[in-house]
Amino acid sequence: MRKNIFTLSFLLVFAFGSVLAQETETEKVIDKPVRSPFESGYLIDNQTTVIQPVNTLEFAIQHKFGTVENGHSDLWGLYASGANIRLGLSYVVANNVQVGIGVSKRNMTTDFNAKWTILEQTRNNTVPLALALYGNIAIDGRDKDQFHEDFKSSNRLSSFAQVIVGRKFSDAISLQTGVSFSHYNLIDMGNYHDKFALHFNGRFKVSPQGSIIFNFDAPLDLDYLDSAENYDNPKPNLSFGYEISTSTHAFQIYMGNSSGLIQQDIIVNNHSKIDMDNFMIGFTITRLWNF
Amino acid sequence: MKKFKNIFLGLSLVLAGALFMAFALPQDKKMGGPWEIPAKYKTMKNTIKDDASSLKIGKMLYTKHCKSCHGSNGLGDGPKARSMKTAIPPFNCEKFQAQTDGVLYYQSIIGRDEMPNYEKKILDEEDRWALINYLRTLK
Repeated sequence: MRKNIFTLSFLLVFAFGSVLAQETETEKVIDKPVRSPFESGYLIDNQTTVIQPVNTLEFAIQHKFGTVENGHSDLWGLYASGANIRLGLSYVVANNVQVGIGVSKRNMTTDFNAKWTILEQTRNNTVPLALALYGNIAIDGRDKDQFHEDFKSSNRLSSFAQVIVGRKFSDAISLQTGVSFSHYNLIDMGNYHDKFALHFNGRFKVSPQGSIIFNFDAPLDLDYLDSAENYDNPKPNLSFGYEISTSTHAFQIYMGNSSGLIQQDIIVNNHSKIDMDNFMIGFTITRLWNF
Repeated sequence: MKKFKNIFLGLSLVLAGALFMAFALPQDKKMGGPWEIPAKYKTMKNTIKDDASSLKIGKMLYTKHCKSCHGSNGLGDGPKARSMKTAIPPFNCEKFQAQTDGVLYYQSIIGRDEMPNYEKKILDEEDRWALINYLRTLK
């Protein structure tokens, strides 16, 4: 009898225990990531913390025309010579991990890049911010005659590493900030080899598909980083524009004062100050394919 | 004189062709035919309430993914609808709205032929149902 009671109690406790366990499991609410803090991985001259779903291929066409200073004579730079173009492909290889390659017209530069979104902001603020790492290594593809006499293959290399922190404040407003380090193995006289920079950018959604977007990159004047103290610090880059997004495309049209299309070029080589004459029109189109 | 006659004849042919195409193109569209819905979807239950928050998300997703073909009000008159081979039925018709949520889910998310699959574009189950809830408002 005692044995039976013991067995019965054991079974009851076990059964009750499993019921309790099931209840706690159903009560557990998963705090999902916020819905699209940005529409694309690109935000004018920078990257966003957004990475598309796994196995998505993204094709980007980036184009910057000439400066608007000549007015209608070259259609505000649209028909000016010296436009810069970048064609880029990136692929999402794992959840929140993307690798890419791009070719820019300026110096026929090929860039290999990668982005990892370590943290995604969640809807109930369990994680209040998104955090991403972005980096690239670029190869200057010009003929070696264009470099100096002691040419080495490593002279072609430059790199960029960035930490991006972002937050979607409301359905309309998403903002990002970041810090980056740019390095050129070989640089033109008057430019720095290394530069730290701060980045601010964001979007303000004005319609279900349209947003006002802006980007600001500020190269920091840190003397201790480079012995070339007499050089002028590169100028900050300001750009602003409008973004339209659809299911598979994002289209950004903007104006900015830097002609570079890879970040280290914008940070290290930009000597045109923020002035109406130095602004140039540019656009970015992205197309997505899911596999 | 013969040269002018040839030009006139050529232009007439082009115009006649254009006129013919103008009438022929819209009539080319075929109806999609009945959907073969797997049993799993027929009985599928909508897990999300059609409250304001869900409808807002649904509208956002509709604008981004569906509007270009199905039109702002779901009448099948979006700008891309013209280039489709299949006619797009309007969402305000009784036949469409009489279908169960599960059937709408299959048609909207899984798709067939020219209706694309959205499983890889709308990943969250909650978002998919929010979209179905929004389709219900397009009566």
